[in-house]
Amino acid sequence: MKKILLLSAIIPPFLFQSVCAAEIDFSRVIRPILSDKCFLCHGPGAENREADLRLDLRDVAVGTGAIEPGKPAASEILKRILSDDPDFVMPPPSTDKTISADEVTLLRRWISEGAEYSQHWAYVPPKCPDMPNVKNKNRIRNPIDQFVTAKLETQNIEPGQSADRVTLVRRAYLDLLGLPPSPAEVDAFVSDERDNAFPKLVERLLDSPHFGERWGRWWLDAARYADSDGYEKDKQRSVWFYRDWVINSMNGDMPYDDFIIHQIAGDLVPAGGQSALVATGFLRNSMVNEEGGADPEQFRVEGMFDRMDAIGKAILGITTQCAQCHTHKYDPLSQREYYQMFDALNDFHEATATVFTPSQQTQRQAVLDGIAEIEAEIKQRTPDWQERLAEWTRDETTGLVDWRTLIPTDRPFEGQKFRLLDDGSIVSESYAPTKANNTFSLKTTAKKITAFRLDALMHPQLPRGGPGRSIYGTGALSSFEASIAPADDPAKKQNIKFVRAWADVNPDKSDLPAVYRDKNPVNDSRVTGPIEFAIDGDNKTAWTTDNGPGRRNQDRHAVFLPETPISMSGEVILSITLRQLHGGWNSDDNQNYLLGRYRFSVTDNDAVAESNLSTAIETILRIDESERTADQNSQLFSAWRNTVSDFAAANAAIEELWQSFPDSDSQLVVQPRSKPRTTHIFARGDFLNLGEQVKAAAPEFLNSFPKTREPDRLRFARWLVADDAPTTARVIVNRIWQAYFGRGIVTTPEDFGFQSPAPTHPKLLDWLAVELMENNWSLKHIHRLIVNSATYQQSYSMTPELRAQDPFNTWLARTPRIRVDAEVVRDIALTASGLLNEAIGGPSVYPPAPDFLFLPPASYGPKQWRQSTGGQQYRRSLYVHGYRTVPYPTLQLFDAPKGDAACVRRQRSNTPLQALVMLNEPQFVECARAMAARVLRQGQQTDGERLSYAHRLCVSRSPASGELLILQTLLDQQRARISAGEFDVDQLIGVSPDLYQQLTGRSANELAPWIVVCRAILNLDETITKQ
Amino acid sequence: MHRKVKMHITPDSARCASRSATMAKRRWFLQQCGLGVGQMALTGLLAESIGAAETGVNPLAAKEPHYPATAKNVILLFMGGGPSQFEMLDFKPTLEKLDGTLPPADLLAGYRAAFINPNSKLLGPKYKFARHGESGAQLSEMLPHTAGVVDDLCIIRSMKTDAFNHAPAQLLMSTGSPQFGRPSMGSWVTYGLGSESRDLPAYIVFNSGKKGPSGGNGNWNSGFLPTLHSGVEFRSSGDPVLYLSNPGGVDQTVQRQTLDAINQLNRGRLDIVGDPEIATRINSYEMAFRMQSSAPEAMSLANEPKHVLEMYGAKPGETSFANNCLLARRLVQKGVRFVQLFHESWDQHGDLKNGIARNCKDTDQACAALIRDLKQQGMLKDTLVIWGGEFGRTPMVQGGSDGRDHHPNSFSMWLAGGGIKPGVTYGATDELGFNIAENPVHVHDLHATILHLLGFNHKQLTHRFQGRDYRLTDVHGEIVRDILA
Repeated sequence: MKKILLLSAIIPPFLFQSVCAAEIDFSRVIRPILSDKCFLCHGPGAENREADLRLDLRDVAVGTGAIEPGKPAASEILKRILSDDPDFVMPPPSTDKTISADEVTLLRRWISEGAEYSQHWAYVPPKCPDMPNVKNKNRIRNPIDQFVTAKLETQNIEPGQSADRVTLVRRAYLDLLGLPPSPAEVDAFVSDERDNAFPKLVERLLDSPHFGERWGRWWLDAARYADSDGYEKDKQRSVWFYRDWVINSMNGDMPYDDFIIHQIAGDLVPAGGQSALVATGFLRNSMVNEEGGADPEQFRVEGMFDRMDAIGKAILGITTQCAQCHTHKYDPLSQREYYQMFDALNDFHEATATVFTPSQQTQRQAVLDGIAEIEAEIKQRTPDWQERLAEWTRDETTGLVDWRTLIPTDRPFEGQKFRLLDDGSIVSESYAPTKANNTFSLKTTAKKITAFRLDALMHPQLPRGGPGRSIYGTGALSSFEASIAPADDPAKKQNIKFVRAWADVNPDKSDLPAVYRDKNPVNDSRVTGPIEFAIDGDNKTAWTTDNGPGRRNQDRHAVFLPETPISMSGEVILSITLRQLHGGWNSDDNQNYLLGRYRFSVTDNDAVAESNLSTAIETILRIDESERTADQNSQLFSAWRNTVSDFAAANAAIEELWQSFPDSDSQLVVQPRSKPRTTHIFARGDFLNLGEQVKAAAPEFLNSFPKTREPDRLRFARWLVADDAPTTARVIVNRIWQAYFGRGIVTTPEDFGFQSPAPTHPKLLDWLAVELMENNWSLKHIHRLIVNSATYQQSYSMTPELRAQDPFNTWLARTPRIRVDAEVVRDIALTASGLLNEAIGGPSVYPPAPDFLFLPPASYGPKQWRQSTGGQQYRRSLYVHGYRTVPYPTLQLFDAPKGDAACVRRQRSNTPLQALVMLNEPQFVECARAMAARVLRQGQQTDGERLSYAHRLCVSRSPASGELLILQTLLDQQRARISAGEFDVDQLIGVSPDLYQQLTGRSANELAPWIVVCRAILNLDETITKQ
Repeated sequence: MHRKVKMHITPDSARCASRSATMAKRRWFLQQCGLGVGQMALTGLLAESIGAAETGVNPLAAKEPHYPATAKNVILLFMGGGPSQFEMLDFKPTLEKLDGTLPPADLLAGYRAAFINPNSKLLGPKYKFARHGESGAQLSEMLPHTAGVVDDLCIIRSMKTDAFNHAPAQLLMSTGSPQFGRPSMGSWVTYGLGSESRDLPAYIVFNSGKKGPSGGNGNWNSGFLPTLHSGVEFRSSGDPVLYLSNPGGVDQTVQRQTLDAINQLNRGRLDIVGDPEIATRINSYEMAFRMQSSAPEAMSLANEPKHVLEMYGAKPGETSFANNCLLARRLVQKGVRFVQLFHESWDQHGDLKNGIARNCKDTDQACAALIRDLKQQGMLKDTLVIWGGEFGRTPMVQGGSDGRDHHPNSFSMWLAGGGIKPGVTYGATDELGFNIAENPVHVHDLHATILHLLGFNHKQLTHRFQGRDYRLTDVHGEIVRDILA
């Protein structure tokens, strides 16, 4: 008896309908049973398969006699299920799974009907369904209502009433903007008596720039956005350009297919520009582990797994994680197919691009235009410039010295990792210490060395391309040292004394910028400057590659001359040491000032002469004249004109222009590799355990890749959003639906696979998916449809009957009542108080937070949290800086995801810690103060009017008389205590009463009781609930 | 069949299994919290079925495990950074003899180290070992206090793990997976057992030491379990919990009056709309109010007798591991289910000798005092105490002659109380302490054993997420029966 009760509750009631209906739908009714109870051992996964039986394939199931179509009694599967013998029964008792009597009935009927299999509904592309017939046509505003009403009618549930207009306007604001309406906005809507008042409101909200903030944040959950690296050090990263790109895309209603293509392959989209590149930040929202012991490749692979997971959850609705290690146990995704998709993504460098805001871009263009103008003018007034340039080019080419690259065989093994590249250069990876002292050695039989050369080179994985690893892509060399020793007597080491050096960049001597300073900057006498600083024997001075914005990210080199040429006999050990001691104090922060990629070389040329040719110009000079590009020729011109004294004034003017080159920001992006990696199946998901090599391709059960000649990653991106992609459109409309109604039509938005619960409204889901695709993938079109539906506009009315009939609100005869998202909780308080700063976009902000959170032992290392000043701290919550390991408490406690992995369904908890935040957190308290002042300023004269106004600021509706009485009592209690001198008014209002009086013309005693009342209203359940 | 009903913890099935229990609990909850909900609304609430309404029940109400448990509470002493077993719990005389020589090449085949070239010289133990107690367990001279309680401990010398970087290895120890996003052990335990405290969180976390945990709050996060199963960070100085204190100017009277107004207004709303979430909200505010007095009270060492403070080496007002140990005992006494103490200081790549001495000075006395104190209070029998880090350290040297690198192949831990066999040293490593020689205990096995002591079949404490039933032990874990009392 108990068993029946237990299991009948598991099967949603709507499945029973199908028992009475004509045919049993395999995909929706039977497969979920088989998948959950049988597939682990009799499904797609080969590792656990028992008895060679597969129940996921009809041929095998029938062939083995497990299922005899039309003959339930003869079918082995039913005999097993119904057996009492613990050794015979299926599923075996050890699995702790049982098949209920109802499920048996379903299986029996299905077998007697012929045991037909059909494809899983989610893997068949959606088609526009027929509109269902409904009796009650009155409440049909659009097809959504038709689908919902049809279901309600089958369930014999009456649709709900329309919500009142105040409720409706607040709901629409919270849903579309994530902000509550002001009392004036409520009044405007309520008094708008036109028929189309609500649709007009919806249009206005869809056009609001705050729409993109609300729905941008919604996408950022799936994009696992955070402002830090995660793992141990959890350093800050600059990714807000991506966040703003998402906001702008939502506001501009970028078609969802383009939206996805840009995020997966924006760098490969023709003429995509900065914005498309920024979009690839999606792929870079993976965490990065730079703890000292980390193998960079291991954590690159972890990042790849994370990207696959995010794409699976956010875009495809397919759980992929299982297939990292083995063929999926439930869904038809083989391990091989997993790595085929992996291969499509496995072609990029993890790069950090320099990016410009529009105003920076304008300024940058002005500088570049200005330079071009002056150069044009030089050409104009120098008729023979071409001959002179050619002559200079010839001379300089003759003077080039041949350098022999040294490939160090002995490289340090420590926290910082040194990877040797094909050209003999070394790239520094993973942990970036702020002070380093690294020696590279090799054995050589060279006879003579007249000079050493150090190339500091760019590399796509360095910040802004390098050549350094600082956040600006720059590096500093405190000391360049070399020694030789006989190979057979390493102890007889001789240090080489360098007496001269030159480099292609020699910045002026300057103090260290703040980011590299010691903890006590006043005592920090370290400086950077020209190349001499690397051989002056003074570790406080260093050569830097940083010559300011605009020109700091390019290949650089330096040449070092020993006192006398070095002559050697026999085999010697040659060692080169780079001392890099100019980073900051905190190696757990972005304070390194290391060179990022370097190459050592030597020459025995006696004629090495000082030259200030840049590495880039040297490279161009080595190219045959006939093969140089126009751009290379123009670089040669710039180099040449710099050497001509006639042009001194023009050169100085250009130099001045460079000084006005704007600062810029950076953004994590991807940059295609010239040669994609080869991808192997990782046996058991272990990146060291390489299996068969695979090539990019789609899993068999999904649509195939487009047959274009584009790079695999771009084809993969287009495949994700192809019109025949079965899940993509369904997944995103389902997630939008979930945001409005609290649960999706499929309640597992991340998983549309065999294990997922069947959609409650399959036709509605398909209709919405088709609507999306047929309307140029416009997400706003879907928002418009939902919000304008009668289904959306219902009230929250609960009757005992309805509660009994539809406890989960599956059939939508009422609106859901849900606590708003974490960000909205805080934004409501900021809005009601009037403190909200409505600025959109820009770097993340740091509202007040307790210092100790960002210091050990609460945080692994010391983190930066420079509290924002002025209005910045009142920005909307999606701009609050998010450290993955130390999330901003207010948001974390209300279930904002940390960005460790894609999140398409938030928790919605209700805890005492939330109460403490809303009651006591300093910014919430400040909101209460500001709201009180606002109420006194704007809320008319009487207590009743003011209380009502305060109430409306938070929950939009006026208080009922009983509620008013409660608030009035609270107010009076405070007044009484103030009169009795029991109340510390100064403390509560936060400033001295006199100052307050002076600033506002009101007495502190008048304000204080209102702070208490406003604090109470801000804390109401209704204030943070969407209904 | 009855057993089955009790065993289903997975919410999907729990919902079905214990519908009547749910109703009963809701009734209990409403009565306990004295909400005075109008009769109509109450009827409504009770008629409200499962699902969204489920949340109207106190989800932290104490629950029965699968079978009778030997442990009710857990104190996890997480020694972050990876303490060196060679200087504390795993005596290797051969390693001492071979100090300065290279390890055998075949031992290193396929071995990857985090920082060092694996082919580095062996480094003998820095400290002397001796046998202690009736059990004769071997401990280094750095653990004189632990030596005094060694007969209450079960030392495992054969621990092993999969990860050798701090963040992944800590997460593996805390959550059973090296990846972020899985629920921590404490979250699973409170998910399974609920709370026995009306005034304090069920799962409390302290941090001490030189650094913070490498895995950050992933070490006590609830992952995909409901957020209220997350560990709550307490601090032993200042406000014990974030935002616990009233804002300036708000005294207890104002706070009470405010809460009364809030609750009355919420209750009015509950009467009208009948959404049980509102009842939960009222309960949350009341518990927050109680916590405002109960947490500082629980966290105040002012009334602890001098001899107790001295036993731990605790000093009221300080932030120290010793204070945290004493607080852990106090909190468990008040019904807190799971207390996790993070002491991240054990990453001795260099300065091994002094580092170990310093860390032992900071922790040895307090750990021993905790065992002694729990025993004296009669609490050790149902409180499981676990000591250990995320991995061990190499028998090979790092740097000159005073450091060791991360080592996942072998490390040592100890457990006590809660049904653990006392006075046992379990498992052994090879002569160099490089690999496990007998009775390996993987982290997953440790987890299975911990859950077993708490009354759970680790294979059945599951939560469905992304179409799969997840558990703390993933698809692994064997109970280490030899160490059960």
